[in-house]
Amino acid sequence: MVFKYQKAFGYSTEDLDTIIAPMALDGKEPIGSMGTDIPLAILSEHPQHLSHYFKQLFAQVTNPPIDPIRERAVMSLATFAGNNGNLLLEDPLTCHSVALKQPVLNNYELEKIRSIDTGLFQSKTLQCYFKADGKPGSLKTAIDRLCRYAVDAVEDGFKVLILQDRAIDSDHASIPSLLSTAAIHHHLIKKGMRGQVGIIVEGGDVWEVHHFACLIAFGATAVNPYLALSTIRDMMESGKLRTHLSEDQLKKNYIKAVNDGLLKVFSKMGISTLQSYQGSQIFEIVGLNKDVVDRYFTGATSRIEGMGLDEIAREALSKHWLAFSRRDIPSSRLPVGGVYQWKQKGEFHLFNPQTIHLLQEATKKNDLQLFKKYSALVNDQTEKAATLRGLFQFKKNRPAVPIDEVEPAESIYKRFATGAMSFGSISWEAHTTLAIAMNRLGAKSNTGEGGEDERRYEKMANGDSMRSAIKQVASARFGVTAMYLAEADELQIKMAQGAKPGEGGQLPGHKVDEWIAKVRHSTPGVGLISPPPHHDIYSIEDLAQLIYDLKNANPKARISVKLVSKAGVGTIAAGVTKAKADVVLIAGYDGGTGASPVSSIRHAGLPWELGLAETHQTLVKNKLRSRVVVQADGQMKTARDIAIAALLGAEEWGIATAALVVQGCIMMRKCHLNTCPAGIATQDEELRKRFSGDPDKVVNFFKLITQDLREIMAELGFRTVNEMIGQVDQLEMRPAIDHWKYKNLDLSAVLYKEPNSLYTGLYCQEEQDHGLEDNLGWKLIEDAKPALDHQAKVTGSYTLKNTDRTTGTLLSYAISKKYGSAGLPDGTIHFKFNGTAGQSFGAFNTKGITLELEGDANDYFGKGLSGARLIIYPPRTASYIPEENSIIGNVALYGATAGEAYIRGMAGERFGVRNSGAKVVVESVGDHGCEYMTGGLVVVLGETGRNFAAGMSGGIAYIYDTRKTFAGNCNTEMVDLDPCDLSDKNELFTLISRHAEFTGSTVAKFILDDLDNQLQHFVKVFPKDYKNALQVSKQGASVHKK
Amino acid sequence: MGKPTGFLEFTRELPGKKPVSERVQHYKEFTELYDGEKLNQQSARCMNCGVPFCHQGCPLGNIIPEFNDAVYRNDWEEAYAILSSTNNFPEFTGRICPAPCEAACVLGINQPAVTIEEIEKHIIEIAFSNGFVKPRKPAVRSGKKVAVIGSGPAGLAAAAQLNYAGHLVTVFERDDAAGGLLRYGIPDFKLEKWVVERRISLLEEEGVQFRYHAHVGVNVPVNDLIREYHAIVLACGSTVPRDLPIPGRELKGVQFAMHFLKQQNKQVAGKDAFADAETESNIYTGADQCAW
Repeated sequence: MVFKYQKAFGYSTEDLDTIIAPMALDGKEPIGSMGTDIPLAILSEHPQHLSHYFKQLFAQVTNPPIDPIRERAVMSLATFAGNNGNLLLEDPLTCHSVALKQPVLNNYELEKIRSIDTGLFQSKTLQCYFKADGKPGSLKTAIDRLCRYAVDAVEDGFKVLILQDRAIDSDHASIPSLLSTAAIHHHLIKKGMRGQVGIIVEGGDVWEVHHFACLIAFGATAVNPYLALSTIRDMMESGKLRTHLSEDQLKKNYIKAVNDGLLKVFSKMGISTLQSYQGSQIFEIVGLNKDVVDRYFTGATSRIEGMGLDEIAREALSKHWLAFSRRDIPSSRLPVGGVYQWKQKGEFHLFNPQTIHLLQEATKKNDLQLFKKYSALVNDQTEKAATLRGLFQFKKNRPAVPIDEVEPAESIYKRFATGAMSFGSISWEAHTTLAIAMNRLGAKSNTGEGGEDERRYEKMANGDSMRSAIKQVASARFGVTAMYLAEADELQIKMAQGAKPGEGGQLPGHKVDEWIAKVRHSTPGVGLISPPPHHDIYSIEDLAQLIYDLKNANPKARISVKLVSKAGVGTIAAGVTKAKADVVLIAGYDGGTGASPVSSIRHAGLPWELGLAETHQTLVKNKLRSRVVVQADGQMKTARDIAIAALLGAEEWGIATAALVVQGCIMMRKCHLNTCPAGIATQDEELRKRFSGDPDKVVNFFKLITQDLREIMAELGFRTVNEMIGQVDQLEMRPAIDHWKYKNLDLSAVLYKEPNSLYTGLYCQEEQDHGLEDNLGWKLIEDAKPALDHQAKVTGSYTLKNTDRTTGTLLSYAISKKYGSAGLPDGTIHFKFNGTAGQSFGAFNTKGITLELEGDANDYFGKGLSGARLIIYPPRTASYIPEENSIIGNVALYGATAGEAYIRGMAGERFGVRNSGAKVVVESVGDHGCEYMTGGLVVVLGETGRNFAAGMSGGIAYIYDTRKTFAGNCNTEMVDLDPCDLSDKNELFTLISRHAEFTGSTVAKFILDDLDNQLQHFVKVFPKDYKNALQVSKQGASVHKK
Repeated sequence: MGKPTGFLEFTRELPGKKPVSERVQHYKEFTELYDGEKLNQQSARCMNCGVPFCHQGCPLGNIIPEFNDAVYRNDWEEAYAILSSTNNFPEFTGRICPAPCEAACVLGINQPAVTIEEIEKHIIEIAFSNGFVKPRKPAVRSGKKVAVIGSGPAGLAAAAQLNYAGHLVTVFERDDAAGGLLRYGIPDFKLEKWVVERRISLLEEEGVQFRYHAHVGVNVPVNDLIREYHAIVLACGSTVPRDLPIPGRELKGVQFAMHFLKQQNKQVAGKDAFADAETESNIYTGADQCAW
C-alpha cells in the first residue's frame, strides 16, 4: 500500500535511502559533495517534482544571511492556523486559532486539528485530485473547482483548510501539492479572504526540506507529510533502517531534520521567522510559463517561460501511471532516481562514466582527438538536454578565419582560473598540484577558504611555484593575515558560493589535522565553522569598505567579489563595481563543493548563463562594464562552454570540478567523509598516498581546452577573445526544439544585446580608481622608512578624522613585502594618533607596529589584526566615565589572527568574531561577542551582550562578571563556564597590567590592586572542543584520526 | 555501502577452495562459500561511489552498490530483490560471468577490486536456501502465445520475462535438456548442472513449457510455429565453433573445443557420449572462455 503510493507520488529508492533514512536516523539533513551535474528540471527526461522548477533565493550583499544554528535564539518556527481577523482591531475572537510551535505535523496532530469542533473553530478537508485521462484542460478544471470549494469553505466559516491528496485511484491523480496550495492561496488573496483561514497541506508528495520550504513560501501554514512518515515506519519494519530507535523517535528525528532544514532555508535570505517566510515566494521559477506563474504563483520571479498546466499534468501522470497503470507490468521496485549517484536508468549526468574516462585519458595523453570526443559527449545535448547553453547554437554569419590568425594560446591561458577549493577540503597534494599547474600557464589558482602555508611562497627547486595567485577572503577569514594578503595577485571576497549560497560552511573535525589547524590558525580535531555572512559586510557600503581595506593590504592585487547567479545579480554586480571591485565573478548554482546539504546543492541558486547575461547587460547599460573584469564559473567542462560564456560577457573563466577530475577525481562524492580514495578530498595520510594527479595533466587540460577554443574562435571568425566578449548576437536558440517540456522556453532575455555607448566597452579596459592616494598610509610609510630599511625604532604623531579610514594597512603591506610574516620586532614603529578614526583602524596591521589612539574609532577596529598592537583610550580631557561609554564601533577585531588590543571603553556588537589569535582587553562588549572564535584571548572587564561565545570552538575568554549576569548572556552550547585558577590568574595579571599601562584604565588598576579578591568575579569561558583537544594532546595521543 | 572506511580496513579475499587432492576426484565445483563475517567484510569494501563504474560495466545494469549495502546490513531479502530486479539468473552469472563489473570497480584504480561476483553468488544462494526465490507468476494472462527457440541463457531470460508479462511461452530446445551452453558447454566444475535444473524447474512452475529434442526447421516445422504462436523469439546461441586454419589443422587429434566440451558435459552427466577424449593427446582449439 505504501509502495503503491510512493510510486504514484514519485518517490525513488534514492529518496528513501539518501534523504529520508538519514533524516530519520540522525535528525539531520544529508550532506553531499561535488555539486550537481544533472539537467535542470525543465530539461530533464525524468519525471520531476513540481518544486524542482523552483530555485531558492538567498541574500547576497544586500543584507546578511543569518546563522540558523549559532543564532537560533533569534529564529522562530512558530505559526498560527486560523482566522487572523482584522489586524487593526483587537478582538477576542482572533484568539481562536491553533498555535503551532513548528509547522510539520504528524498524523495525530493533524487529526486533532481536523476533529476540533468548538463552533468557533472548524477545519474543512478539500480533496486535491484531477481526472487522470491525459486530456488537455483536466488539471485546470480540477484547480478551478478546488478554488471554488475553498472560497465556499471560507464563506461557510471554516477556519482551516486541509488540502488532502489521498483520494487517488486509477482514474484520479493527485494535483501536485505545491500547485494546489499556491492556487488556493492566490485565489483567496484575490478574493480578499486569505487572512480568514489557515492552510494545512496533507501531502503525499512532500518529503524533502525543499518541498516544505516551497509549500510554506507559497502559502501553507503547516504541512503533514503523511507518506514520508509512513515510509519511515515501513522502512523500520522491513529492517531497512538499522536502528534501535523506536518508530516514534525516528519520526521525531525526521521532523527535527525538516525544521532545521527550514531554518536554514529562511536564514539564507536573512529571514528569521517562519511567519515572515510564509507567503514570501522567495524562489525563482525556472521552466513554467507566464500564464501558470501569473495565475497560480502570482508575483514570483520567472524569466524564461516554459511548461503550462497540461505539461504539468502530463508530468504528474507519468508518475501516477507507475502505480496505477492497468496495462503495464507492475514494477517491483521504486525508480532508481540516480540524482545523487549515477545510475544507468537514472537521471542523466554530464559527469558520467564515459565523460570522466575520456577526460582523464585525454589529459593524461594530451590527446586532442580524445578531448574532442569527451567534449562532444558533453556538448551534444540534442538528445539529452542538460544545461541552458545546450539549447544554444552558434550563428555562422561571420566569415571564418584561419586558426593561425587567432591569438596564441599563451595569451589566452591567463584568463583561466581554477575555482576556490580550500586546503582542508582537498589535500595538500591536490591543492599544490593545481597551483603549480596554473602558475606554469600564467593562469591563477585559488586558495579557497583555508589560508595558505607559507612555505608555498618559496620557489621550488625546479622553478615551479606553489603559490596560489588568488587568495580568498571568506566569511571565516581563515588564515587571512597581512602576509597572506600581501602575497597575492588577486584577493577574492567570497560573498556566496554556488553549492550553498547564503550558507556558511563546516570543515568536520576529523578533517582538521595539525597541519590544517596550523594553516587556519585553529586547534586540531576541532570542527571549523564558516559563518553565513561576513560579519563586516551587512550592506554594499560595508563591502566597499572591505574592498578598500583589501586594496590597502595589497595595492598591487586585484580585488574580486564572488557572487552567485540569481535574479537581481546584475544590480548587485553594478553596485559591487561602483564599490570599486576590480573583478566580479558570477558563479552558477551547480558549482562543486566539499560538503553541503543536498537540498542546497540542488535547489539553491540559478545557472550562470542567466546571471552572467544579466550582469553583463546591467553593467553595459549603466556604463560600468569597462571598469570591471567579469568572470564566470560553474561546472564548465568544454571549450564550447567557455565560448558561450565569453559571448555572454565573461572575459575570464573558472574551472574547478573538471580540474579535479583531471587530477584523478572519479566523482566519488564522499569528500565530506574524508575517505576520498583518489587522495584528493581527504586529509588521511594513507589515502593521500594514492593521489595520482600531477601538474602536467592539469596543464594539458587547459592547453587542450584552449586549443579547442581557438578552433571555435576561428570557425566563428574571431581573432581575439576580446572581440568575442559580449557578442551575444552570435548565439541563437537551436531550431526545431520540439520536446514537449521545453519547446516553449524563452531565452530571449539571455540573448538580448544591450547596446553600448562609445564611451564604454564590452570588457574591462580601464582600472578602477580606488582612491588610495588620500590615505594617511603613504605618509606613515615615509615616516617609517628607517624602520623599514634597517629596523630602527620610529615614532610619530598624527591627527585623525573620521574620513581617515583603514589606518596603518598600507604600512603593514610595506612591512610584509619586505619582512614576511615575521614582520618587524615588537614596538619598532610606535605611532600616536589624536582624534576620531574612520573605519577599519589598524586593519590587517602586522607585527612591529603599535598604533596608539587617543580619541575614538568607528567600526571594524582591528579587523584582521595580524600581529600589531592597538591601544585606544578617550581624550585625557574627557569628563565622561570611559568604561560606561562607547569608544569603538561594531565588528571589532573580525578575523584577527595575532596581535594585541587594549580598549579603554565599551565596544559594540560582534566583538572579536572569528578571532583566531589576538589577545585583547576591553571594558564591555555588545551582543554576539567572540562568535566563532578559534584562538587567542579576550578579557572583558565588564558586561557582555547576549549570545556571547556562540560557535566558539577555541581560545579563551575571561569575563569580569561582578553582577553575576553573564551566564544568562552566554551561549553555552559549545563552551563551559569555569572558575579561574592560578594559571588563569597569571594570564589575567599580565594582560590587565598591560591594559593599565597602555591606557591608564582605572578599572584595570582597581582589579590589579585587589586581584586575589577580584579573581572570584572572573568567569573563564572555555570551549569544550578546545578543552578536549588540550587534554588529548597532553596525553600525547595524536589528534589526527583515521 | 554500510561502512565508509570498509575499503581501508579490509582487503580483497576470495572464498576458499577445496583441497586439490579432493578436487581431482570429481568434476564438480570446488569453491566454497564465505562465512558470514567474511562476506560482510567483503561487502563493506564497496565505497558506494558517486559514479559507480561497476554498474556501468555490468551489461545487465545490476545495481551493485545497492546490493552490496544490503548484504552489509544482512538484509538478504532486500539484496535479493535488488539483484533480481535486473538479473534473471544470478546463480549463473555469479559463477561464470567474466565480471566486467570488477574490472570497472573504482576501488580497483589503486586497490584490488570488490569481490562483486562472489557477493552476487552468495546473495542468490542465500536467497534460495531461505526460500525467497519463488516462482514469479503473472497476475493476468494476456492470452498470447510466444515460441522461444533455444534454451540457452538468452532464451531462458526471454521466456521468463515474456511469461511474467502474461504471455504463454513454449521453449523449443533441440537437445535433450535445457540450458544451451549452460548445460552442454560450460564444464561442471564451473557450473554444476543441478543449478541449471533448479532454475528450469522454477521456470516450469512459473508456467513456461519446454519441448526437448525439438529442432525447429528439422523436426519441428517453422510454419507450425508461425501458425500457432503470436510471436517467435530466435535465441539459437553460438555453438558454431570458429576454425583455426593453420598448418597442422588437418592432423588427427586436433578438435574443436566446443565439440569436446559438449561431450565432456554429457559424459559427466552420465549420458552416452563418444569418448574422443580417450585418445592420448589432443589439441583443442577455441577462443577465450572456451579455452578454459
